Amino acid sequence: MRIFYAVAIGLLCFFSCADEDPINLEKVLAGGSTSVFAEFSNAFQFPAANLSPIELQNHRRGDVAFESSFVTAPSQINAGLGPIFNQNSCVSCHGKNGRSPFPDSENDLLGLLFRVSIPGINIHGGPKPVPGFGGQLQTKAVFGKKSEVSVKMNFIEIPGSFSDGEAYSLRKPIFNFDNAYIPLPGDVMISPRIAPPVFGLGLLEAISVEDILKHADPIDLDKDGISGKPNYCWDELSQSLQLGRFGWKAGQPNLLQQTAAAYLDDIGVTSPLFFEESSKHQIQYDGGMDDPEINNELLSLTTFYTQSLAVPVARNQDDPEVLSGSKIFDKIACGKCHVRNFKTGTHREFAFLSNQHILAFTDLLLHDMGDSLSDHRPEFEAQGNEWRTPPLWGIGLTKIVNGHSNFLHDGRARNFQEAILWHGGEANQSVLNYKNLSKKERTALLKFLNSL
Amino acid sequence: MKYLKSIFVLLSIFNFISCSKDSIKPAVDYSDVLSNSTNQVIINTYKDLNDKSKLLLIAIDQLKSNTSTGNLELARLAWRNSRIPWEQSEGFLFGPVDQQGIDPSIDSWPVNVVDLDAVMASPDVLNKTYVDALEGTLKGFHTIEYLLFGENGNKQLAEFNTRQFEYLSACTQSLNGSTQQLFDAWRTEGQNFGKNLIEAGKVSSIYPSQKSALQELVDGMITIADEVANGKINDPFVQSDILKEESRFSANSKADFADNIRSIKNIYLGSLDGSGSIAGFYTLLHQSKVSLHQKIVNQIEAAIAAIESIPGTFTTAITLNRPAIQFSQDQVRALQLTLESELKPFIDTF
Repeated sequence: MRIFYAVAIGLLCFFSCADEDPINLEKVLAGGSTSVFAEFSNAFQFPAANLSPIELQNHRRGDVAFESSFVTAPSQINAGLGPIFNQNSCVSCHGKNGRSPFPDSENDLLGLLFRVSIPGINIHGGPKPVPGFGGQLQTKAVFGKKSEVSVKMNFIEIPGSFSDGEAYSLRKPIFNFDNAYIPLPGDVMISPRIAPPVFGLGLLEAISVEDILKHADPIDLDKDGISGKPNYCWDELSQSLQLGRFGWKAGQPNLLQQTAAAYLDDIGVTSPLFFEESSKHQIQYDGGMDDPEINNELLSLTTFYTQSLAVPVARNQDDPEVLSGSKIFDKIACGKCHVRNFKTGTHREFAFLSNQHILAFTDLLLHDMGDSLSDHRPEFEAQGNEWRTPPLWGIGLTKIVNGHSNFLHDGRARNFQEAILWHGGEANQSVLNYKNLSKKERTALLKFLNSL
Repeated sequence: MKYLKSIFVLLSIFNFISCSKDSIKPAVDYSDVLSNSTNQVIINTYKDLNDKSKLLLIAIDQLKSNTSTGNLELARLAWRNSRIPWEQSEGFLFGPVDQQGIDPSIDSWPVNVVDLDAVMASPDVLNKTYVDALEGTLKGFHTIEYLLFGENGNKQLAEFNTRQFEYLSACTQSLNGSTQQLFDAWRTEGQNFGKNLIEAGKVSSIYPSQKSALQELVDGMITIADEVANGKINDPFVQSDILKEESRFSANSKADFADNIRSIKNIYLGSLDGSGSIAGFYTLLHQSKVSLHQKIVNQIEAAIAAIESIPGTFTTAITLNRPAIQFSQDQVRALQLTLESELKPFIDTF
């Protein structure tokens, strides 16, 4: 590993050129001192810029783990795939650490999967697993085993128009399931989820609970129409309910558990945290002789990789149209939930995540997004129509990194504008305001989103 | 993927937010370099890959219909030949190869041997459609390699059977489909992804500026240098674990590594024959950077030479010739450092 020069970017609060206004770095460095400038396809693949040499080595080892393809046991390398799974590696869903596109073929769902449960709650207050299916539908199986289901996709186009008369159309996906290895129960609740980007997650994990709860207003005491509700989910390690931060409904309390759950449910790889196959009690079960299939070290390295990726800087922040779009973003109250600024707390383990000014554009809280986006499936405190505000940093690079511009929890939106227009519930007024903007103003707002 | 020194990241940010008023610097048009990189290097490499993978199918079918030692050697040679353009494409692993999920179908590793044995033992009809639907770890270069060369690289003619030939043929047809898809995705007559580089900075391109397209290219070079030095060489070498070696069955690792470096060379010089196009990437280094240009060329050649002069196979050298591997790794790292700390920051100033 090469020599590493730690440079405190934070010391360089301002950088100015002769005859120009100073540029406030805090408006550019979305990930604080972790930030990198990158406007090409590897933009989400850089290590945080402020790692120590040892951290950099661990990041690299985690990188290898993140890209490793698992195969059926027994194998001398990467054993433990399945027996039922969604994809065989982390990177299969999070291509270049980014966002999965909406699949264009039912034969390969890429980073789209389906969480399932039946009415009621499990012993920790979480989703009640579906007998014979658990909490997630595995759409692939190792050779000779049967996947749980196949997925069929159809779409409905929903037309609409702006106040100025311009028309738009929204695409609603309809999912059907067949070839189930045993019949799905009639009361099953199914929630589609698309794989989100994985950079900057360590910073979100480093925000203090108190700072997140400052934005919470579950019963809308200030009567601004925006609630912000914390989700409390089961933390396997501490055996207690903790604030949820990760996943589309904030159903995971930390990155270690998020990573272990992904290994288990998505790849079929057991770990010391979740050491029973998702297929236990099903006919596909392999007997569990090799569980756990990865050790604590590998789980920690993969987790660390997601904690230690750099956030790409925001771009063109001095462009007049971007500035105008930024003002509109605030004016129509997008920033009420997509909270721009946070300062991370002091991280117990990793100094590089501590006390960073970040521009994540999320409050990490649940909000009612209306019936149109509802998955009709609760997850701990989150109801069907409630979703955690997703961060917006880096979204303008999605096209360069992943070759598409599909957004929202199931990838239904084909561009930023459709993503905005799908918002409902607490965001109804903001969407109405957006529809009432002039074409020029709408374009400016979209340009602002594209600069993030 | 990349392990930039903070100082370079900092420089990048400085260059990014520094005085970039158009009035300070006259706009320079880099479309000749971008067009040349796309048409002469990238698309031609993918065309070559597609052609060579078709020749591999011919050789496999020849072996299937006439199972002889000579035809087995020809099939193995055809595999090595098709591997060359693939490895020479890894300096630009962006765009369709990743975004359309093509890479796993071509180059997944390791091979899922348990499932492969189960496929062989099944009564299933083995054809292209069947293989297309399988996981990446049951098809592509390494599965074909495993079947052609065997676990220890010394598979005998007697160890082949009809079922394996059917699978080899179906696998290679599936590979043909992937290489065709990749070629079609880039070329003008197909989906024309190439226009994103050629028309960078225009609304028709995903790249907001020519500079970001050039950064894409230079970052691709850095990525593969890093991958060769700190992944492909490093993991089996440092852990003294031949199981971590990617092209072990065919003992093709040295060729893989050298062709990866040639991928850098091809983009850098702007041609596939090492001659140096008049619109090659290197022409961005104007006269004040002649010494940097010479340094990069020398380091590319030194890296290739060091890799190719590792005695024996990479597998045996892990045990028997460690200094030679160390030396080749050092050469690749030196090249990576130059690309990362000198070429990239220079492009960042555009």
